[in-house]
Amino acid sequence: MSHKYWTSIEEKNNGVENLDKFQDEIPHNTSVQQLIQDDLSNKTTSRRNFLKWCGFTFASTAITTSCESPVKKAIPYLNKPEEVTPGKASFYATSFFDGEEYASVLVKTREGRPIKIEPNDLSTVTKGGSSARIQASVLSLYDRDNRYHHPLKEGKKISWEKMDEEVKQTLKNASSDGKEIALVTPNIISPSTRKLLSEFNEKYPTVNWIQYDPVSVSAMLDANKTSFGKRIIPSYHFDNARVIAGINADFLGTWLLPVDYTDQYIRNRKLEEGETNMSRHIQIESMMTLTGTNADQRMRIKPSEEGAVLVALYNELAMKAGQTSMQQNVQSPVDITQLADELYSNRKQALVVCGTNDYHHQLIVNAINQMLGSYGKTIDINTPINIRQAEDKSMPELMKRMGKGEVSATVFYDVDPLYDYPDADKLKEALKNTDVSVTLTTQANDTSKETLYVGAVNHYLESWGDAEPVKGKYSLAQPAIRRLYDTRQLEEVLLSWMEEDITFYDYLKNHWENTYFPEQNEYSSFRDFWSHTLQDGVFEPKYENRPRPSYSEKGLASSIQKAAKEQPSEELELILYEKVGIGNGKHANNPWLQELPDPVTKATWDNYVCLPPAYAKKHGIETEDVVEVNGVKIPALVQPGMADNVMAIAVGYGKHNTGKAASDVGVNAYPFINYNGGYKQYTRKGLTLSKTEEKYTLALTQSHHRMEGREIVRETNLETFVKDPESIKQKKHDTTLYKEREFEGHHWALVVDLNACTGCGACAIACQSENNVPVVGKEEVVKKRIMHWIRIDRYYKEDENSPEVVHQPVMCQHCDNAPCENVCPVAATTHSNEGLNQMSYNRCIGTKYCINNCPYKVRRFNWYKYAGNDKYGFNSAGEQGQMELNPDVTVRSRGVVEKCSFCVQRIQEKKEQAKLENRQLEDGEVTPACAQACPANALIFGDLNDPNSRVSQLLKSNRNYHLLEELHTKPSVSYMTKVRNMGAKIEA
Amino acid sequence: MFQSDKTMNISRHYLAFNKALNRFLLLTLILFTCQLTMASEGGGQHQKGKYTELEMMKGERLFKGLIPFQEGFKDCASCHYTKTNKEIDWNPSAYDLAVLSREDTAYLSGAISGSRFQGVKGHEEVSLTNKETELVEAYFSKLADHGLKKHKPVPEKTLIFFGTGFLMLLALIELIFLKKIKIKAIPVLVLLVALGFHLKVVSEEAISLGRSENYAPNQPIKFSHKVHVKQNKIDCKYCHTGVDNSQNAGIPSNNLCLNCHNVVREGSNSGTFEINKIHRAAEQEEPIEWKKVHDLPDHVFFSHATHVQNGNLDCAECHGQVEEMHIVEQVEDLSMGWCIECHRETEVDFDNKYYSKNFEELHQKMEEGQIDAVTVDEVGGINCMKCHY
Repeated sequence: MSHKYWTSIEEKNNGVENLDKFQDEIPHNTSVQQLIQDDLSNKTTSRRNFLKWCGFTFASTAITTSCESPVKKAIPYLNKPEEVTPGKASFYATSFFDGEEYASVLVKTREGRPIKIEPNDLSTVTKGGSSARIQASVLSLYDRDNRYHHPLKEGKKISWEKMDEEVKQTLKNASSDGKEIALVTPNIISPSTRKLLSEFNEKYPTVNWIQYDPVSVSAMLDANKTSFGKRIIPSYHFDNARVIAGINADFLGTWLLPVDYTDQYIRNRKLEEGETNMSRHIQIESMMTLTGTNADQRMRIKPSEEGAVLVALYNELAMKAGQTSMQQNVQSPVDITQLADELYSNRKQALVVCGTNDYHHQLIVNAINQMLGSYGKTIDINTPINIRQAEDKSMPELMKRMGKGEVSATVFYDVDPLYDYPDADKLKEALKNTDVSVTLTTQANDTSKETLYVGAVNHYLESWGDAEPVKGKYSLAQPAIRRLYDTRQLEEVLLSWMEEDITFYDYLKNHWENTYFPEQNEYSSFRDFWSHTLQDGVFEPKYENRPRPSYSEKGLASSIQKAAKEQPSEELELILYEKVGIGNGKHANNPWLQELPDPVTKATWDNYVCLPPAYAKKHGIETEDVVEVNGVKIPALVQPGMADNVMAIAVGYGKHNTGKAASDVGVNAYPFINYNGGYKQYTRKGLTLSKTEEKYTLALTQSHHRMEGREIVRETNLETFVKDPESIKQKKHDTTLYKEREFEGHHWALVVDLNACTGCGACAIACQSENNVPVVGKEEVVKKRIMHWIRIDRYYKEDENSPEVVHQPVMCQHCDNAPCENVCPVAATTHSNEGLNQMSYNRCIGTKYCINNCPYKVRRFNWYKYAGNDKYGFNSAGEQGQMELNPDVTVRSRGVVEKCSFCVQRIQEKKEQAKLENRQLEDGEVTPACAQACPANALIFGDLNDPNSRVSQLLKSNRNYHLLEELHTKPSVSYMTKVRNMGAKIEA
Repeated sequence: MFQSDKTMNISRHYLAFNKALNRFLLLTLILFTCQLTMASEGGGQHQKGKYTELEMMKGERLFKGLIPFQEGFKDCASCHYTKTNKEIDWNPSAYDLAVLSREDTAYLSGAISGSRFQGVKGHEEVSLTNKETELVEAYFSKLADHGLKKHKPVPEKTLIFFGTGFLMLLALIELIFLKKIKIKAIPVLVLLVALGFHLKVVSEEAISLGRSENYAPNQPIKFSHKVHVKQNKIDCKYCHTGVDNSQNAGIPSNNLCLNCHNVVREGSNSGTFEINKIHRAAEQEEPIEWKKVHDLPDHVFFSHATHVQNGNLDCAECHGQVEEMHIVEQVEDLSMGWCIECHRETEVDFDNKYYSKNFEELHQKMEEGQIDAVTVDEVGGINCMKCHY
C-alpha cells in the first residue's frame, strides 16, 4: 500500500511544503503583535481616544454586569391544534420534485415549522435515501431575499382577484380569437395536475402545454420511441447488473434518479458478511464526474469520440453474438475489447447507459442492451420513469410562433427560460410579441423580471399534491406549514382561471377516490385509505406483469452510419455539466448548496472551466488563472482525469438579482448550448480558449487537509481481498501502560464504508440542517474557515492525467484517548461515559488548543458570530432563517469551537423514548443525520457494547481500519477498506 | 432612558445591591444622554399622542389622591394599585383599567357613572366631571404604554454595604491621617471585618448573577395556582399536558382555560374581571402573553418527560409548593450545581428494561449486594452532553 495519494496538481508537483499559496486558517509567520500593529498603524492614540475607550469600557462593563435579565414571554397557542405538542417533533410525509429530482420525504416540524427533511423508508423509489439538494430544500422555504410575497403586475403589488380577472379575460379573448396560449412548465409528474391541465385545455382550447427542461434527455426518449414504440425512459436496475458500463452518464450524481441508482449500485458492492462478489463498473467519459470517480476502471474519450466507441462496441458484441456488424472500419480510440468480453460473458447481467443527448448514440445503446439481453433483467421497459418528458424542439418552435405574433398569452410556471434557454435574448425579444405574459414562481428569477404578471407560488412544503415518478408508484404531497405569504400553488391558480369552485385539496381527493382507491382492497372506506396513504406518503399497488413491448432495429443502421461519420478532432471541445449541489441552477439561491464542496473539484461558491493537466501545462495555465472561452471570462481549474483537449463548465451559475447567495456567483454557461437535429447539445466544438493575465481566487476545500504520506485511505483490489483477506488487515499498535477505558452502558461508534461512499455530499447538508451549522461565505472558505462538521476528502492516486479517486468522509472520530481533551485549559471538551467526545460551548474560551492537537482536523472555530449576522448569515439571519434552526441544538456564538457530536440530541431522544416505553434500545434505532441521509448506507452507527450490533460485526471485518491507528487515539469511528474490482478472473 | 426601556417595567427581583450599583454607574451616562437629548429637542412642553404631559401628570395626581377632585380627595390608587405586587391584590390594577380604557373610550365614564359597575363596592359615591375624566384618561394612556411601576423593596443590604464602606473609609482616615485612637488594632479590625463583609456580598452577588431565585412576576391574568390546585383540586397535568411525553410541560392554551371558564364566568376573588380576559383573548384572537418564570438558558436541554415519567419526580421538587402560591415564584435557583447535586443523590429506576442491556457491572454489584441502588450519576447523569448540546 505505498501508492502516492495527492489532493491537487500543485501538491503533486511541488510537494506539501511549498504550498504557500494556500492560506492557512490561522495566518502563521505573523505574530499577534504584528496583527495588532497593522491594525493600529495608521491610527494615533491620543488622550481623548484613551479617555473614550476608558469610558466605553467602564460603561459597557457596568451595563453587562448589572443589567436586569430581560423578561421572557411564554405565549401559548390560542387554540392548540390537536396533533401539536410543544417540544415534540411531528413528521409529515410529502414528495419533493423540482422538475429534475424526485424523492419521497418526511418533513420534521417543530411547533409547526419544518426544520429538516428526512428520507421516507417506505418509498421503493428513493428507498430511504436522499441527496444534498433534497436535504437543502427546507432552507429555500425560508429564503428571505428571493421569495415573492404576493402577486405583482409590472412590478407593483396586485391582488390575486384582480390578477385572476385580468388574466381570465386575456385567456377568454385568446380562445375566442383562436390564438395560442402557451403554458411552459417543468416536467409534471403529478397525475392530478396532469388531469387538471387537460381540463384547463378543454376550457381554453388554444392552450399549448409545453414541458421544458434546461438539461434534457429528449434524445433518449425519442430513441426509445423508435426502438420500442413508446416515448419513455425505462427503469434501470443497477443492482441486477454484474458489469456496468457508463458512457458519459453521471448516474450517481445527476442523471435521472441518482438517489435510487446509488442505492442499487452500492447494493452489490458492499462485500459484507462474507460476500466475495461485487459488480464491475467501467466508466467511459470525457470529464471527471462523480460516477467516474467511483468506477473500477475509467477510460477517457473526447465527446466527439463517443460515436466511434459505441459503434466499435456494437460491432465487437455483434461479432460475439453472431450478428452482422456494421461500419467495421470504425476504430475505437480506447481499447474496448476487454469491456466487450466482460459485458458479453455477463449477458443478462450487464447494463450499458449513456447520458449524451444524442438520438443516434442512444439508439446504438439500445441495440447494445438488446444484444446483451438487458431488457427484462437490468432494464425494465414496462415500468417507465416519468421524471423527464420534455421535448427539446418544442421551445424553439414556440419561439418561432411567438415571433410571428401567433401567441397571445404566455404563462411560465416554475421555469426560468430567460436564464437557462440557450437563446435567452431571442426569446426575450419574441416574448415582447405576446399580449400578456405571466410567471408563476416561488422565487424571483430572470423570467419573472420580464413578464407583465408575477404570481407568487407556494413552496412545495406549503402545497398539496401527488406524484407518479415511476409508473405505478404514487406518492402524496401535503403541506407541512401554513403558507408564509400571500401565495397560491399552480393548481389553485388554474382552478380559479377555470372558474371552478373547488379547492385543489378536494380536487386531489376526488381524483384519488375515483382513480386509486378502486385499485386496492386493503381499505374498505376511502377515508381510511386516504388517511393511511397520506401518513405513509406512498401508494404502490401491485401490478400484473405486462407484456414487454418488442424491440425493433428500426433506424439502427442509419444511426450507426451517422455515429461512424463523426470525426474526432484535435481541437478543444467543451462539455457542459450539472454539479451535484447546484444542478440546473434552480436552487442557486440556497447557501447550503453553494457552500457544499463539489464532490470532485472540491470548489465552493463558483463555477469554472475544468481543464486537463496536460493541456494546462502546455499552455501555461494554472488553477485560478482567468481564461476567456469564446470571449467569456471564467477562472480555470486544472482537473485531473479530464480527457485530453476537453474542457468542462458547470451550468446553473451566473444568475443576477436572484438573492444574496446566487447573484453574480460564477458564469452562465447555458448560452454555450447549441441545437443540433432538434436536440440540445451539451458538448461543443470549435471554441477558442485564451489565457488572460487576471487571477481569480477559488474557494477550494481540499487544499485544507492532506494525507502527507500516511495511510489514511486504504484500498485493495477484489483479487487480494478474496485470496488473501488477512493481508489487508491493519496492523494494530495496541500496547499501552495505562488501563484501557471501559464504557458502561453504551459505546457509540460509526463505521464508514469507503466501498459504499460515492462522495455525493448528502451527509454534509443533512448534518448542516440538523446541527445548525452556519454558512460562512466564500471569503471565509478561502481562509479555510468552512464550518461543516463532516467533510468528504477526495484523494487522487498516481497518474495525474487519469488518476484513481477515493472519497473519504471525515468527521470527529470520538477518540477514546482524545488528544483534544487533555489540552483544553477549561475542560470544555471532555469524554462522556458513552464514548462521546463532548463539547460544552459555554465553557469554551476559544484557545483553539484542541484544534491544534486534533490529528484529524475536524474541529471548527467560530471566527465570527455567524448566526443572525447579516454579513455571514445567509440562512440564519433574519426572522425567516431562524425558523429553520433545530431548537434542540445550541446555536453557537463567536469564539467557540464546535464539531460533530454524533448527533447526541438524537441519541438522547431515542434513549428517552426507550425508557418511557420501558424497553431496550434496539440496534439501528439511533441514526445520526448523516447516516440517515446517505443514499448508499455507507455510514453505519451503533453500540459497540452490543456484540450483535452491526457496528460490532463490521469491526471484526478484515477491511476495518482506524485512521492514524498508530497514534493510539482509539477512535470510535472506523473505516472499511475500499475494494476495487479490477476485472481479473477470480477462482475462490 | 428608563422610560423608553420596556424592560424597566418588569419586576424581576434582583437584590438591591445590584440595582444600586447599576443606578450609580448608569447615572453618569443618563445625565450625559439627557443633556444631549434636551439640547437636541430644544426642551419645552410637547404633546405625546392625544394628551400633553401636563394632562398626564395632573391625571396621575388626581388618581393617586394627591390633588382633589371637584368632589374632594379620592384615592383611586388605594384599590387600583399602580405598582407591581409581591402579594396578590385581587382588585383590578390601574394598568388593567388603562388597557380597557384604551380599547373602549367610554370605559372610564361608564365605570364611574355606575352604569357599568353598579353595585361594585366603593364606586357608589364617585362622580367625575368631564374634564377630570379626561385627565384620568390621559394618565391611563401613559400607563397603558408603560405598564405598572416596579415594586421596590427596601434596599437593606445595599445600605449596610455602603454603611460598612463608610466605616472602612473612617478607619482608613483614622489610620493614615488622624491617628487619634491609640490602640491601632481597633481601626484595623474594623477595616478587616468590613472588608470581609464586602467580599462576602460581592461573591454572593457574583454567584447569583444571571440566576433568578425568588423571581415572581405579576402575570397578565391573576391566575392563582392556590385557587385552582388547592381549592379546586385540579391536577397539574390537566393544564400542563406535555409533562409526561414532551420536553416542555407546556403553558395551557386559551381553549383549555375555556374548557371550564365557558361555564365558570365568575371567580370568588376577582369576580368576572380576570376571567373576562380569557374571553377577550378568544374574541380578539390574541393569545395571553404570560411571563416565563422558570427559564433555563438556551444551551441547556431539559426534558420534563424524563424527569416526571422516568425519574418519578414530583412537580414540587423543583417548582416548590405551587399549590400555595397566588403568584408563582421560582423557589430553587435552577443552577447547574443544584441539578448535579440532585443527579448525585437520586436513584434511577434500575428495573426499567432499558437498563437490562449493557449495564452488567452495575447489575452484578447489585446482585452481590455491594450497592442497593443506582444513582443517576452512575449511569452517566452528570456528563456534559446529557444536557448541553
